[in-house]
Amino acid sequence: MLKNYPVSSFYDEMMKEAGQARPHYEKFHRLLHSMEMKELHEKHETAQLSFLRQGITFTVYHEEGGTERTMPFDFVPIIIPDEDWERIEAGIKQRVRALNHFLEDVYQEREIIHDRIVPREVVENNQYFYEQQASGLKLPHNNHIFLAGIDLIRDNEGTYRVLEDNLRNPSGLSYVFQNRFVMRKVFPELFFEHDIWTLEHQMSRLHQALLSHVPVHAPNPDNPTAVLLTAGMYNSAYYDHVFLAQQMGIELVEGQDLLVKDDVVFMKTVRGLKRVDIIYRRIDDDFLDPEVFSPDSEIGVAGLMRAVEKGNAAVLNAVGNGVADDKEIYAYVPEMIRYYLGEDPLIPNVDTYFLRDKETRDDVLQRLDELVIKNVGASGGYDMLIGPQSTAEQREQFRRQIEAKPEQYIAQPTIQLSRAPAFQQQRFYPCHVDLRVYAVGSDDIHVLPGGLSRVALKEGSLVVNSSQGGGGKDTWVMRRGGPQHAE
Amino acid sequence: MLSRTAAGLFWMSRNIERAESNARTLESRLINALESPEYSTGAVRDWEAVLEICAGVTEYRAFYEDCTAESVASYITFDDRNINSITNCLGYARQNARATRDVLPEELWQLLNERYLAIQEFNGTWTVQEVHRFLREVKQLSYTIQGIIESSMLREESYHFIKIGKWLERAEKTARVLNVVCEKTMESEDELHADYYYWLSALQFLNGYDAYLKRFPPTMEPQYVLPFLLSYEQFPRSIEYCMEHVREAVLKLEHGQVSHYSEDLFFALDRVMDDFVKIKFRKRTAREIGPFLDDFQNSCGRIGSVFASTYYLY
Repeated sequence: MLKNYPVSSFYDEMMKEAGQARPHYEKFHRLLHSMEMKELHEKHETAQLSFLRQGITFTVYHEEGGTERTMPFDFVPIIIPDEDWERIEAGIKQRVRALNHFLEDVYQEREIIHDRIVPREVVENNQYFYEQQASGLKLPHNNHIFLAGIDLIRDNEGTYRVLEDNLRNPSGLSYVFQNRFVMRKVFPELFFEHDIWTLEHQMSRLHQALLSHVPVHAPNPDNPTAVLLTAGMYNSAYYDHVFLAQQMGIELVEGQDLLVKDDVVFMKTVRGLKRVDIIYRRIDDDFLDPEVFSPDSEIGVAGLMRAVEKGNAAVLNAVGNGVADDKEIYAYVPEMIRYYLGEDPLIPNVDTYFLRDKETRDDVLQRLDELVIKNVGASGGYDMLIGPQSTAEQREQFRRQIEAKPEQYIAQPTIQLSRAPAFQQQRFYPCHVDLRVYAVGSDDIHVLPGGLSRVALKEGSLVVNSSQGGGGKDTWVMRRGGPQHAE
Repeated sequence: MLSRTAAGLFWMSRNIERAESNARTLESRLINALESPEYSTGAVRDWEAVLEICAGVTEYRAFYEDCTAESVASYITFDDRNINSITNCLGYARQNARATRDVLPEELWQLLNERYLAIQEFNGTWTVQEVHRFLREVKQLSYTIQGIIESSMLREESYHFIKIGKWLERAEKTARVLNVVCEKTMESEDELHADYYYWLSALQFLNGYDAYLKRFPPTMEPQYVLPFLLSYEQFPRSIEYCMEHVREAVLKLEHGQVSHYSEDLFFALDRVMDDFVKIKFRKRTAREIGPFLDDFQNSCGRIGSVFASTYYLY
């Protein structure tokens, strides 16, 4: 079945060499071989349809408007042995803890700037640094990060590295659950003999963490009312919002459903106004409150920030998190970990070069065909140059963009993302993957076992974002004590 | 419950009910049309009646010159320019469901979504058989959705808003059918059997033909058909039956009590019921019932707006 599957210099998650699976994939490999190609194909189709029927879609925008699309699902899971996972879990906790310290610091005392660990201009020039709106707020648990999505990749040696931190509105959590759900329903036989961490109780942990962010003046601190604020059904992550609200049993509200009266937030119900204490918002800072952010926002709630300042409402994730997750500040996270925690980073970064320094810039411009260039303010795989796969024309365009605005771009070596087999058009072929790990913060940090494995289904492509044709895989974390194989 | 959610459920329910009754009206007319000469004045008048019930003749005339089975069927079923076309109604219903899917049974959403996606794949050309099949499927979709609602939803606010939408839509549709049919019988007073044909159509449009025959002679006398559709207490599409169920659902929503904020709503509902009592026991001709039906349709509009302001729907 995987006979003609090519193994090359890329690290392969599943295959050690041609025909031989890595120890933690041996059982899966064997189970796969006991199935017929035709059967796999039919099940594969069933799985895709099930996503469509359930309306588990995201919206892609183009000139003629938006189209609803499903994220293609691939049934070969990413399996993570327990010892690898323990390291990832510890590394994510460490990183998120440091990032939260950083956020608390830049919006209060700014010691990290005084101590010259992070340059002042990197913080102050950041477009997501909301000094005025976010400074001096007293947050429940001093926690800025209720939900974080940290993107990990593996290099040629199989070493995990952090590619990106998402501390504003990381999406995709619903896919983690739905991928597992569909996988169990359509491919039950592939789970046999595997002992993996279940996702069953994760939602209640998320719910508990959410409800623990009680604002100081909540009238009913033991029984707060929480809502999820969405931009509405045309938002690309609307399904994610529906799923989270449904699973946590909280109201899914739009900006038009909320109003602020005497610095208290209310939702408009059929019985009149009902007080709201905790708002898990999934709209960006800039649209949140037209009184203090973009005044023409139609999806926000006027006066929301006044309610937060007065301690009448908690907004999660906190306002201003963008200052800690952009591509430039990213390079300083290892230093933050040393500075705030006195620890060495457990998961390394990808090397990153700043282009405002002339010498580095000249060097990078010489090597555009081997590097990756990213706009520090962009996400979703947009405004990005992958050197080895670019045309001379594209490189020329980026050269001009960099020269015009060098501080807007960073360069990184092209990491040879690890690969894993994917099943498409009745055959297995290697596709690049990454892993988004979700961390839930309250008075402590909890990491969901596994996460969302994203796969670049276009052969050879390095872009895993769903907006650019990426798909998803189930992620299995092996439980310690399960039957082990020596490497 | 959020007011926006309540409004979404109310309109989802109305749109599904509307799609179903438009499908049935068109279906009956397509079958009846087989026996009448296509371009006769009678045929055009009958197609206009169907347009008046399911959409609007003036709006239709803006896009089409003649009234043929093909163009009317297309306008009522698939035309995006007709805001009440069946595919539009289902599209809105799906949109309403999508915006409220956190309170809906998952099966309801999946079914509606599946049908919507199937319609999106439809390539635009269709045969008469395909239209018939489609109309049948729309009716079945509505039956299945009602079945899911009845068998799995908690009897709480969301359920009651859905029911109010359905009964209100149904009452208005019956009134509209009666109004159009009364008008048509007057226009064709001199024609042989025209009366018979129109009263029969009214029963068919409202899914009441078989039920009617169980109670009344098959002569299609207005003195029997009219009260049957207006206020027969056993017929689930008679206006009075529907309005009683609207009132019952509102009462459940209010836990059996009239409060100061719901006073206006109950008052508006009671007024309509009183009007029924007044005309119920008197013999009425098609001509005399016209003003009453006009009045009733205005009352429905008023109830709709009082209902919206009572629960802050917008």
